[in-house]
Amino acid sequence: MAAKKVAVLVGTEKGAYIFRSNASRTRWAAEGPLFPGEPVHHMAYDARDGKSVYAACNLTWGGPKIRVSRDQGKTWKVVSNPAFPKGKVATSNAWVQGQKFPVPVTAELALMRTWHIEPGHASQPNVMWAGIEPAALFRSDDKGETWTEVASLTDHRTRDQWSPGGGGLMVHSIGIDARDPKRIMVGISSAGIFESSDGGKTWEPKNEGITNPFEPKKRSEVGYCVHHMVAHPTAPGVRFQQNHFGVLWLNNGAAKWDETSKGLPDESMQFGKHAYGFASAIHPHDPETAYVVPLAGNDRLAAEAGTAVYGSKDRGKTWKRMAKGLPKSARFEVYREGMATDRLDPAGIYFGTANGEVWGSADEGKTWAQIAAYLPPVMAVSTATI
Amino acid sequence: MPAVATVTVRLYGAYSEMAGARKLTIDGATVGDVLDTLPSKLPGLRERIRDEQGRIRDHLNVFRNEVEIRRLQGEKTALSDGDIVHLIPAMSGGH
Repeated sequence: MAAKKVAVLVGTEKGAYIFRSNASRTRWAAEGPLFPGEPVHHMAYDARDGKSVYAACNLTWGGPKIRVSRDQGKTWKVVSNPAFPKGKVATSNAWVQGQKFPVPVTAELALMRTWHIEPGHASQPNVMWAGIEPAALFRSDDKGETWTEVASLTDHRTRDQWSPGGGGLMVHSIGIDARDPKRIMVGISSAGIFESSDGGKTWEPKNEGITNPFEPKKRSEVGYCVHHMVAHPTAPGVRFQQNHFGVLWLNNGAAKWDETSKGLPDESMQFGKHAYGFASAIHPHDPETAYVVPLAGNDRLAAEAGTAVYGSKDRGKTWKRMAKGLPKSARFEVYREGMATDRLDPAGIYFGTANGEVWGSADEGKTWAQIAAYLPPVMAVSTATI
Repeated sequence: MPAVATVTVRLYGAYSEMAGARKLTIDGATVGDVLDTLPSKLPGLRERIRDEQGRIRDHLNVFRNEVEIRRLQGEKTALSDGDIVHLIPAMSGGH
């Protein structure tokens, strides 16, 4: 493996941090806070140019900003925000005071937060994607300097049925197919998964196989509470998601998601055998290996005494608890963007907690060591293998 | 069309930090004019005052002297020489 360095990019509720190490991944040099005081919902490294790093900064006072570094995170600049055309309105469900459930609201669309930034396909080196709240996808053709709304998703025929999750109504997951740049998948809380096979011109819901115990006898196109979805970086068509109701895989060309919750801790089950959680990551080389941090559905802390990452090497048939080196009694919370893998072999796995700790494993989960503590609540962990 | 006035802009909290200044003298006929001109004088405020749709951002309160502009004529509120335009971040933090 030619790569010599790994950087763990950490977005917190009050700024961002970068932790750098060599391939041994045993000692880490800390940088930060970057953008002090600003909630950073996601950071993304662009392996195509080996230089660019993107940060989704969402300051309360003064509004959201996307920042870009062209030198691996050493210096940063602000780029244009994703912006809807002026006067554009849309109808979707929203929480309204006094109402028990979200109700239809028609409103002018304006950027509230950027939730996820994703580099485009390797064959499109200048393309970037951004998922935002209110739920919409934006495309950049100039490495994030400017953004254009993918109106076909905003204006989807099902939008008036979309309802927000606890965090809002947003595009929080973007998966670009490893082979075909026109195959794009997004996750929207809590509308579900949508897939385009024509580069974003048209979209179809892709939620077959996902359980919705609230409406067990009704198969609706949308209304599925995806918490986090990733596309495998090298295996075409392979997708993995942590849903409100279970952990699911999608094979290349498959019509349905396969739920693979069996073997995850009972305490994470909600409405039966559906494992709960947010953070999820897929192995960078093996499309049958993935990782989750099971949470209990009632309090959203680790499902058992002692925090653990669970890993499967057989596409979810069996899950193994991986906790050597992790605290034995603390129940951490890990958010939806809170876990990532690097691209080394063996792969490194990293996760950040709501109580401000970052943990890493350089041996695919066999052992864990603390990389950082006493940070603000960690919202996002991603990596750069340089 | 109101006459152009010379006014003082006072910035508070996060807006002062983003601007790198707490006070500025500026010309404008209305509060909206002043908000439009400010980023050219203080680039740190670019896109911090208005959202992408051109509206005053959430969590920002704008006053002409002692009165919040929503209780006046909003951005069309006319200015007179010596007025003070206050940009005050809302008390909107915490969990």
